[in-house]
Amino acid sequence: MKTPPAEAWIPAVDGRVDASAYARAILNILEDFSDEKTRLNDTQRAVMNILEDFDLEKRKVAELEMFAYVASHDLQEPLRMITSYTQLLAKRYAGRLDADADDFIGFVVDGTKRMQALIRDLLEYSNVGSTELDLRAADCEQVLRGVLANLESLMAESGATLTHDPLPTVLADSSQLAQLLQNLVTNAVKFRGARAPVVHVGAEPVVGGWRLSVRDNGIGIDHAYAESVFEAFRRLNPRDYPGTGVGLAICKRIVERHGGRIWVESVVGEGSTFFVILSRVP
Amino acid sequence: MIARSGEPVEILLVDDHPGDVRLTEEAFAECRVRTNLSVAVDGEEAMAFLRREGEFAEAPRPALIILDLNLPKKNGMRVLTEIRADPTLSEIPVIVLTTSTSEKDIAEAYQRHANCYITKPVDLDKFFEVVRLIESFWLMIVELPRR
Repeated sequence: MKTPPAEAWIPAVDGRVDASAYARAILNILEDFSDEKTRLNDTQRAVMNILEDFDLEKRKVAELEMFAYVASHDLQEPLRMITSYTQLLAKRYAGRLDADADDFIGFVVDGTKRMQALIRDLLEYSNVGSTELDLRAADCEQVLRGVLANLESLMAESGATLTHDPLPTVLADSSQLAQLLQNLVTNAVKFRGARAPVVHVGAEPVVGGWRLSVRDNGIGIDHAYAESVFEAFRRLNPRDYPGTGVGLAICKRIVERHGGRIWVESVVGEGSTFFVILSRVP
Repeated sequence: MIARSGEPVEILLVDDHPGDVRLTEEAFAECRVRTNLSVAVDGEEAMAFLRREGEFAEAPRPALIILDLNLPKKNGMRVLTEIRADPTLSEIPVIVLTTSTSEKDIAEAYQRHANCYITKPVDLDKFFEVVRLIESFWLMIVELPRR
């Protein structure tokens, strides 16, 4: 029996669940099937089980997504109260109580600001997964121009220079593509060492698409963390660099929803290059 | 401009959350124009106040309405629709001031003839700034209908 192409067996799931694992399992069964035709019923049952698991997995992910959205959205309300009133306390009573009270108020204000940032990013993360993709020809060069306009003050303050290859048109949701490039360029500038940031956005054709890259001369990432940097809330340098640790998780999510890949290659102390594979326009 | 008359400007704030009400009061208290803020805690109370029904028989007519959308009993969109459908109330400017950032809410509020739509800023200073801007624009720049 001829092996069907793998993608024929992968239900469309937005790349949120590891479809390839399911596909591999199904292909294994099909191989058995081609050897021994009498096991047809068993095989069918096994395939059905896998597809059911897959469906359950999908639903679990969708539920989690919903939960994250509702939680972060509803959390904002009470948090806004806490923030507003501690800020009002600080505004009206700073210097009128005693030094301890000023310190305590300061800690509360700081904490609520951090929590706000976390909730905002969590909401963004869940939005990236739940909004419908508007896939069309997206001109990376134009998208990058928009991103650089947004980042003007960051680039100027840090003394960063950015160069780029001629960039291609890819099949993507342009607002998510912008978010992706903005997060990668922001990181390239943010995680700088003593040197002024030098960033290069490259592009190379690969089979079926393009490999974009964002290279920097920053602090780099230890090889041991090359995978975990893409996990939400994973921060490698919490003391020295502000942030919630959601940026790269958002990037990963965007790329996976586009059916692409993202990874990083880095040398500590010399810099990192983030690679992204996206489809070309058919 | 309405602030010229010297009388406090009557404003109706429709908001069910005491924390938000107090914050808006505090912000108006820091403004230059004297205002008298009345509060309705749900949509039904807002309509009763505006129509001077029952306990609100003596209620002042507001020059400006600040309306939250997410309200108990009768939500803000319905309140807006009823205000606009009532010839004795339809000319009062309504400022929607809400936490919702939903595009659907924004579009719907304007379709129902809200005069403007403002998302409540999370940051206190920004919120106070918004109230200051409401004061300077609506009470010191624009002309409002008088009755």
